[in-house]
Amino acid sequence: MKILIFLAIAISLHTGIAMAQTEQQELAAQVTLTLDKKEYAGGEVIKIKGTAPPGRPVYIEIASEKKVQVSRLDSRRDPDTGKIPYIFYLSKDIPPLYMILMPKELEEAYKLEVAKGKDWSVSRMLTSTGADVAYITPAKAKVDRWQASIMATILGSRGDQLEPMDEKGNRRQSMPLMKARYRWPERMFAPTIEIKEDGTFTAEYKLPDNAPSGSYTVIAVVDRELKSAPATFKHDLGFAQLYFDRAGQSLNIIGPFLLAVVVCTFGVVMGAGGGFILNPLLIFIYGIPHAIVAGSVLPSVLFSQGTGIYNYSKIKFINWKLGVSIGIAMLAGGFIGPKLTEMITLEQYKFLFGWVLLILAAIMLWQTTPGYIAKSAKDQAILKEFKKRAEEAAAKKAAKSEEGGKL
Amino acid sequence: MKIQFWGQEFKANMIVGCTGGFLIAIMSSMFGFGGGPFMVPLMTVLMGLPMYVVVGSSLLAIFFNTLMASSRVVGFGNVDFLLFGFMAAGAVLGGFLGPQISKRLNPLWVKRVAVVGLTILGLMLLGVIPTPK
Repeated sequence: MKILIFLAIAISLHTGIAMAQTEQQELAAQVTLTLDKKEYAGGEVIKIKGTAPPGRPVYIEIASEKKVQVSRLDSRRDPDTGKIPYIFYLSKDIPPLYMILMPKELEEAYKLEVAKGKDWSVSRMLTSTGADVAYITPAKAKVDRWQASIMATILGSRGDQLEPMDEKGNRRQSMPLMKARYRWPERMFAPTIEIKEDGTFTAEYKLPDNAPSGSYTVIAVVDRELKSAPATFKHDLGFAQLYFDRAGQSLNIIGPFLLAVVVCTFGVVMGAGGGFILNPLLIFIYGIPHAIVAGSVLPSVLFSQGTGIYNYSKIKFINWKLGVSIGIAMLAGGFIGPKLTEMITLEQYKFLFGWVLLILAAIMLWQTTPGYIAKSAKDQAILKEFKKRAEEAAAKKAAKSEEGGKL
Repeated sequence: MKIQFWGQEFKANMIVGCTGGFLIAIMSSMFGFGGGPFMVPLMTVLMGLPMYVVVGSSLLAIFFNTLMASSRVVGFGNVDFLLFGFMAAGAVLGGFLGPQISKRLNPLWVKRVAVVGLTILGLMLLGVIPTPK
């Protein structure tokens, strides 16, 4: 009996002490974070203040609550096995704006990674600066993967979907996707937090002009257990600004619209359509992902093509046998192409597109040579003559059918 | 393959036509443009068809490609419908403005400007001419 009582006392005492200890720890190690406002406009500076245990580094994660789709093909040869994996990764949960602020003291480690240029890696940046504790939101993005193959790509599929990854694998694979989305370390990391000796810290972050609309969360992190309660703020769009949900950015619509009008008009004048010039400019000026640019511009050609076909068919200026025969071959090509856009990186897209434009320039240069002009003048005269005849025939037919209707 | 066009008969080499069309379709749907400026030389120069046969029929062939590719990009979730809306509006407006302007311009000079413009843009894409990040 005595032993039992003793045991009970011992247990209660022990738990009591343990509770007191954790309470004390929490008190001493509290992390707080406050923002100077609840709403910000694009281009405005967000002032962040907070406290953390003295002497500990603090990281701040800023993430938009919106989501975009990002994909990439892993085609880098594995140094151990010597094989190219050809695995296609895709996540629909990547935040369209993301930033990890880190202490100013870490600037050297940060710059070391930035100096690697194109070969920088998110995972190396996170481990070398210790910022991996603040890499919270993208780590939760669900990443799906497919075993791609040349055959599957020709058949226009993503390949066989592989088993879902565990939490760790998912976190690891979210990092190259973040790089595919943000491309440069400056857009994901900044060593700007000033930490004082007493543990208070301040930081400033300029919200980009093209930041997505909606809510954002901000959280200060010291280590895996020690973090502040999340603070939130909203980004309100300015006049004529809209959020482009697949591109993952807000744009003043006047700019892209004027660009489209000017480029398409010039495209019609030069007789080549607008896509050739529009796509690279949308990438250069607005930094919209290449798959989204190609995917959004391509269908816009349908209208002009449709009206063109309608007008030509009215005057029987289309050879259906010829058009449909080649059209079926092009149907197959159109099935494969969009898949390839997803499989290539921005660098590859730019490289190939650059050569396409140079070839097009060569074709157009050839069309300015005297021999071609003389031939083309003849062609145009015949074309006009045929068109005239065709139009007359169509008009006659219309008049006849009208008469028939009257009878 | 033999084709009839306004009472005339032409021989069309469909092996060249379909192979070329297939490759041009992959390229144009991959980068997101129409492809007319490549189809017309293919059909006139390589297939030897006269211009008046090609203008309408090439448009029909390209339309197949654009239709298929459009359904694919929608399926892949790569269409930003807002961006598409503005680009389509620009394309339609350009379709009206273009012919008005081109009447007043010398087509030869238009082509020359286009050659220079496309070359610059191509070199920018290849990284020969530096571009801001």
